[in-house]
Amino acid sequence: MHMEELAKLNAGTDPLMVSPEVFQQIGTITRVLHDTMQQLGVMPKLQQATDGLPDARSRLSYIATKTAEAANKVLNSVDEAKADHARISAATSAMAAALMADPVKAVASGAVMNFVKEVESRTARIDQHLTDIMMSQDFHDLTGQVVAKVVTLANDLEDSLVKLLVSVVPPEQREKVDASILQGPVVNPEGRTDVVSNQGEVDDLLASLGF
Amino acid sequence: MSTDMKFLVVDDFSTMRRIVRGLLKEIGYNNCEEAEDGVEALAMLKQAKYDFVVSDINMPNMTGFELLKAIKEDPTLKHLPVLMVTAEARKEDIVLAAQTGAAGYIVKPFTKATLEEKVQKIMQKLAAAA
Repeated sequence: MHMEELAKLNAGTDPLMVSPEVFQQIGTITRVLHDTMQQLGVMPKLQQATDGLPDARSRLSYIATKTAEAANKVLNSVDEAKADHARISAATSAMAAALMADPVKAVASGAVMNFVKEVESRTARIDQHLTDIMMSQDFHDLTGQVVAKVVTLANDLEDSLVKLLVSVVPPEQREKVDASILQGPVVNPEGRTDVVSNQGEVDDLLASLGF
Repeated sequence: MSTDMKFLVVDDFSTMRRIVRGLLKEIGYNNCEEAEDGVEALAMLKQAKYDFVVSDINMPNMTGFELLKAIKEDPTLKHLPVLMVTAEARKEDIVLAAQTGAAGYIVKPFTKATLEEKVQKIMQKLAAAA
């Protein structure tokens, strides 16, 4: 911001409590920082990366929507397929009992034919449910492509921010990075001693504590 | 062990609630209700009688740890067994859960056999202690 603009902003208000030299110094520092960042190539990349953030948000929302839809579709299909399967099991047991009791009557009454038709109908429905489950996995391909784009954006942003950070942070602070704010599944447990990698290790840890 | 036991499944992801509920049903527990965070769960626990709580840890409004602490500090609820089912695999979380009073801890992804084993183990411990 130029000194003229600062003066305009201040027009009509109470006199400043600080001297104009302070503003001059702040302006100089800002200009030096801006020029340094431009020379480092941080600003254009950072600008490009931050411009992509709203797009990344919408992409991540898309992934959440697609995966939720797929999960619900699969669970609905499984529920229906299990119901059809249970019906076939029950009908089979009933038919076996009828045939054991009186085979002639079972055939003559049409019970066998009804059973065959029901099995045909139910297996066709189960086949459709299995097809639905298979088709709903298409989210993997779609979201995989979106994830790749978001990862690229995150890499660009990280690269720019690290450059910026390294240029302004005192040397003794550079190694201090707090990863504890990251929550959720541990993606790479190999070589780490602060996490467990399976249920067996959870049980061993709890047992060592007397639980 | 009674299959009439009433479960409360607490998770902010409806898919996971549905999966846990489905697995409990397959194990033989049909009486199961759901809450999407600790706040809703605590309100439900104070309004009706439940026998078992299965809770996630990372949830908005009230986390699983906060819910666990609230349950264990409430004289009318502290007897309730709480099984933590979570993606959190940090040892300090597991220790904290145990120290706060969790009856068990399962890391995601998990199997039906693991859930069944933990629920049965917890119920056997309770029965032995009674």
